[in-house]
Amino acid sequence: MKRVKVVPGWLLLAGVVCTLAWPGPRAEAELAYIGPGAGFAFLGSFLALMWAFILSAGTLLIWPVRVLWRGRRRSKALRKARVKKIIFLGLDGFDPGMAERLMAEGKLPNLARLREQGSYRRLRTTFPSLSPVAWSTFATGVSPARHNIFDFLNRNLKSYLPELSSSRVNKPRRVLQVGRYRIPLRRPTVELRRKSIPFWKILGEHGVDCTILRVPITFPPEKFDGKLLSAMCTPDLRGTQGSFSFFSTRQEQVSYENGSRYPLHRNGKRITGLLEGPEHPFRENARPLAVPFALVPNGKGGEAVLEIHGERYPLRLGEYTSWIPVAFRAGPGMTAYGICRFLLTQLEPDVNLYVTPINIDPERPALPISQPTYYSAYLAKLLGSFATVGMAEDTWALNEGAIDEDAFLEQAWAIHEEREAMFFNALERMRRGVTACVFDASDRIQHMFYRYLENRASGKHAGAVEAMYARMDELVGRTMRYADRETALFVLSDHGFASFRRGVNLNTWLVENGYLALSDGAATAGPYFKGVDWSRTRAYTLGLAGLYLNLKGREAGGIVAPGAEAEALKEELIARLSGLTDPETGEVAIRRVYATNRLYRGPYLAEAPDLIVGYGNGYRTSWDAAQGKVTRKVFEDNPKPWSGDHSLDPVLVPGVLFSNLKLAADDPGIEDLAPTALALFGLPKPGHMEGQVIVETADR
Amino acid sequence: MLKQPTVKLRKELWERVKRCASLAGYSSPEEFVEHIIEKELAKLEDAETDEQVLNKLKGLGYLQ
Repeated sequence: MKRVKVVPGWLLLAGVVCTLAWPGPRAEAELAYIGPGAGFAFLGSFLALMWAFILSAGTLLIWPVRVLWRGRRRSKALRKARVKKIIFLGLDGFDPGMAERLMAEGKLPNLARLREQGSYRRLRTTFPSLSPVAWSTFATGVSPARHNIFDFLNRNLKSYLPELSSSRVNKPRRVLQVGRYRIPLRRPTVELRRKSIPFWKILGEHGVDCTILRVPITFPPEKFDGKLLSAMCTPDLRGTQGSFSFFSTRQEQVSYENGSRYPLHRNGKRITGLLEGPEHPFRENARPLAVPFALVPNGKGGEAVLEIHGERYPLRLGEYTSWIPVAFRAGPGMTAYGICRFLLTQLEPDVNLYVTPINIDPERPALPISQPTYYSAYLAKLLGSFATVGMAEDTWALNEGAIDEDAFLEQAWAIHEEREAMFFNALERMRRGVTACVFDASDRIQHMFYRYLENRASGKHAGAVEAMYARMDELVGRTMRYADRETALFVLSDHGFASFRRGVNLNTWLVENGYLALSDGAATAGPYFKGVDWSRTRAYTLGLAGLYLNLKGREAGGIVAPGAEAEALKEELIARLSGLTDPETGEVAIRRVYATNRLYRGPYLAEAPDLIVGYGNGYRTSWDAAQGKVTRKVFEDNPKPWSGDHSLDPVLVPGVLFSNLKLAADDPGIEDLAPTALALFGLPKPGHMEGQVIVETADR
Repeated sequence: MLKQPTVKLRKELWERVKRCASLAGYSSPEEFVEHIIEKELAKLEDAETDEQVLNKLKGLGYLQ
C-alpha cells in the first residue's frame, strides 16, 4: 500500500493564516479591473495559489527577523521623534472666511479653543485650487509639477479626449477572440498617475505606523509599510466615478447626464426591475451584467419589501436601506461584488426607486481599494459596510432631481458617520505613529447648498452649510480628546469655498477672438471638441482651470511653435483675459491668468496646462467648457443646485490650518505639512521636497 | 512571477541618474528613469481613442 505523507495540521493552519494575512503582491497584478472595456481575471488560479502558499511559508519563516528589524528601525526613528503621534484631520473645502465668522459668533467653540491653545492660519492652496491637486501636494510636499496632478482631467495629446488624471486602466494587450467572446490573456492593470512619494511611505520605511483614511488620489493604493483606504477617483463597480440608477413604472423619455433611468414592470402585486452592473467581461456588445429584483408593496401606506438575491429587505418611503450586497455573475467562479443602497421615493400612483452608485464591496473588492488588500475587508467586518467610490456623496442625483435635498443630506451624513467610525477606531488603536483622515461632507454640502448663503434659494435647508460647520466643529472637539502633550494635531482643509453663479465658456471666447477654429459652417462644437479644426486652433480649454496651447510636437494637431511663438501667445492671452468682465453683470469674471512655468518647477511641468485661469468671485469655467464644448455664449447663469465651487483664483480660496502646536510660519502652504510630519518624527526633509517645516519645536 | 522587471544600467549612468534625479525634482532615481521611458513610449504607442474613456468620467461632480 502506498504511504501518503500527511502535512502536519499546525503547518497547514499557519499557511492558511499567513495566506490570509499576507498583503499580497502588487495590487494591480493580483486583481482585475471590472469595468468598461476590461475583463475579469482568474483570481484563484492554481499557480497563483501555489505561489501565495510558498510566499506565505517564507513570510512565516522570516517573520521573527522582520519583527526584530522593524523594531530596530522604529526605535531608531522614535529616538529622534519630537512627538509620539500626529493626527491629520482633513476637512475638505472648509473655508477660512466662514470659519472665522462662525468662531467670532461663538458657533465653533472647539476650533476657537484649538486656535487659542495652539495656532490658526489661513493655508495657501495649490494652483489650481482643486482637491486632487491640493491633497496630492499635502501627501508629497511638492508642487503639481513634481507630483503630476494638475486637475481632475488630463487631455490625451493624440486624441484631445479627456482622461482621469489620477489613475489609468491599462487594458490587456493580448485578447483571444472566439466568435462573440473575447478572452483576455493578460490581466488589465490599474496605475496610479500621481508621482513623487507620500510622507507616509517615508515614515513607514522608518518604522513609523501610519493609517491613512480616504486622503484623495490614493487609488490604486500604493504598497507601503502601513494601512491605507483609497479615496477620490476610486471608481464604482461600473467603472465610472459614480453613476446612480433610477427606476420608475412611469414610461417617459427622461435621460440623465450622470445616471441611468430604467423601467419597473408591474406583474400582479410584484414590481420587477433589473439592476445593471459592470459590462460583460467576455462578450462583445452584450448587455451589462445585471441582477433582477422585485418590490412587493405590503399594503401598509408607504411600505414595501425588496427582494434581491433571495433576500428580503423592508423598504419605507423616503428611507434608505442599509448597504445591500449585490453580486454580478459572469460565469462559474467569476463574480463581481458590489454594495448599494435603495431609496423608495414614490409608491403611488407610480413607483419610483433610486439606487446609489454600485460601490465596490469592501469585503470582496473587485479592485484593490486598500493597502494591505485585506484592510478594507477588516474595516467592513469590524465596523460594517461603507461607501468606497471616490466621490461617494451623490451630487448628480440631486442636480438631476433623482433625489431631494433631504435624501442628499441623509446620504452625505451617513457616509460621514462611516468615516468617523473608521477614524476614531484608528485613533483608539494608535499608540505611536500617524493617523490621517479626510472628511468630504464639508465640500459636498457647500457645493450643493451654497445658493442658500446668498439667498439665491430658500427653504428648510437654508442653514445646511452653517449646520455642517457646527458638526465639523464637534468632530474637532472629539478629536482633540486624543491630542495629549505628545501628540501633534493638525486640522486642515485643501481649499476654501466661493459662489458659482456664472459660468465662463473660454472655448467660445477663444473662437470669438480667433484662437480656436471650428469646422467650416459650424457655430458650436463638442462635447470634447467634436467639430474643432485643430489645424487652425492655437488654444483650447478642458477641465476646470487650465488653458492649453495647441503646441507643435506635443499635441497631435499642434500648430504653435514652441519657444518664442508659444511664449508670445501666452503673454497675449494673459493680457487679454486678465480682468475680463462679464457684460451682463459688470463683474470681473477673470481676475488673473497665471503661466504655469512661472508658478512651479519640476519634471512634470510639460504635462501641466500652459496657463491657469484665476476666475473671479462668483465665476468658474462653465459646465460646457469643462468638457470641451463651444457654445453660443461666453457667459451663462449656473442654474444647478451645485452652486458653490472653489475652481477660481486660488488666492481667493485658501484653506485653514489649526494646530495644537505653535506654528512658526505666518504664511504656511499645504506643501509644508509633509516635511513637518517628517521633522516631528526626527527625519530630514528629502532634497526633492519643496515644503518647509512650520512648527516650533523648542517648547515641546 | 510576481517580481517586477528589472533593467540594468551602466554603473556610471546610474550614478549620473542618482545625481540629477533630486535636482530635477524627482523623489528617486527610479522615478526619473520611469518618467523618461514613459515619455518616449507615449510618442510610440497608439492613442487610445476609445469612447469608453468618457464613460469613466461619469459621475464626477465637477463635470456635466
